[in-house]
Amino acid sequence: MSIFEYNGSALVAMVGKNCFAIASDRRLGVQLQTIATDFQRIYQIHDRLFIGISGLATDAQTLYQRLVFRHKLYELREERDMKPETFASLVSAILYEKRFGPYFCQPVIAGLGDDDKPFICTMDAIGAKELAKDFVVAGSASESLYGACEAMFKPDMEPEELFETVSQALQASVDRDCLSGWGGHVYVVTPTEVKERILKGRMD
Amino acid sequence: MKLDLSGLESTVPHFGTSDGLSHGFPTAPSFDLPITGDFDGFQKEAIQMVKPAKGTTTLAFIFKEGVMVAADSRASMGGYISSQSVKKIIEINPHMLGTMAGGAADCQFWHRNLGIKCRLHELANKRRISVTGASKLLANILYSYRGMGLSVGTMIAGWDETGPGLYYVDSEGGRLKGTRFSVGSGSPYAYGVLDSGYRFDMSVEEAAELARRSIYHATFRDGASGGVASVYHVGPNGWTKMSGDDVGELHYKYYPVTPSTVEQEMGEVSGA
Repeated sequence: MSIFEYNGSALVAMVGKNCFAIASDRRLGVQLQTIATDFQRIYQIHDRLFIGISGLATDAQTLYQRLVFRHKLYELREERDMKPETFASLVSAILYEKRFGPYFCQPVIAGLGDDDKPFICTMDAIGAKELAKDFVVAGSASESLYGACEAMFKPDMEPEELFETVSQALQASVDRDCLSGWGGHVYVVTPTEVKERILKGRMD
Repeated sequence: MKLDLSGLESTVPHFGTSDGLSHGFPTAPSFDLPITGDFDGFQKEAIQMVKPAKGTTTLAFIFKEGVMVAADSRASMGGYISSQSVKKIIEINPHMLGTMAGGAADCQFWHRNLGIKCRLHELANKRRISVTGASKLLANILYSYRGMGLSVGTMIAGWDETGPGLYYVDSEGGRLKGTRFSVGSGSPYAYGVLDSGYRFDMSVEEAAELARRSIYHATFRDGASGGVASVYHVGPNGWTKMSGDDVGELHYKYYPVTPSTVEQEMGEVSGA
């Protein structure tokens, strides 16, 4: 198993009508052994910007701490929140700084930009941005996730339907992966509220 | 120069050799060896291909009322779950069960082969084969294929004239008699629950629940185990399947979700 699959993870972000959903599994393992079933992979940067980091857990935590530091500095200087597109460029630059000794992570960024337009993107471990209009996936279950999302996605879904779709896609995919699952964590973000839900899943 | 290929010949007797007991019947299948320049390298690769496959949890223990055998039902290939519904408890004959751990093909084939041998023994000797005898037959076959990349970690459980019997047999050629075994990547977790809850004088129901719980805990902690926890009981009149419970549902039965009072439900966000 590769270093990216050492801890196991599953992340997905999906775009709806003036809203987005970002979801992750909750397992932290050491190869096949499960250590924790309540591991936090998705972090809130500000009201309308979330980042989920898959891959090696220690690198994910370190990367998150560095990003929070940089965002707080930005907020102090600019006196406003970062736009999602700008944040994505920041993440990409930070990852490429470590080009010859990378963080073993794959981040998924989701936010509401100007005019409440949802923005999602993912990148590889050295910062190659991949923008998408519909959904992005990352983690050890990413291949299953691609299949499930492709089958279930519809454009312009309302928040409730988007939540259902993301949850079903996540559960179906992690049920085919030994290294991720043990519950789910879903955030649905609209211009007025953030709804956080924990999913009851198969614990095997 | 004639090369000495005697080391490559299978130690297993070929079709047609007779040893009185199975005159005319094949004693063990003989397999063609591959024609390759680098046999050693080929063997190493073949072993590596099968090796990761001991992702499973199986267990068996002897108690007052017989033998309890239990297993999960997940098959995994590296990180990918290839099936959640694999039968890992193999019915050799109505009085004997074998468990599967390691290469699925290897276990299925050799258990069926063992079933054939047991039936032949019955016909030749007019009495059922003992668990000792059956496990020895399998162990001898596996020993003769030692080093060739078979991956089998099995337990033979049955009830014969001497009472309940349990043997562990593996593809390295090992054969152990015992009262409690667990095999597979989830076995450490299963042992923890099994060893702390085991008593010889349990009832059938209590033993079934212990076996089920051990498998459940192994599926919770081990990524390569999961699916359905099957529990079988071997008594004086043969085996019966006690239960086959989906492990996902077992979790919420053992640890139900209690709705907690929510302090703050939604985060209000100021508009842009």
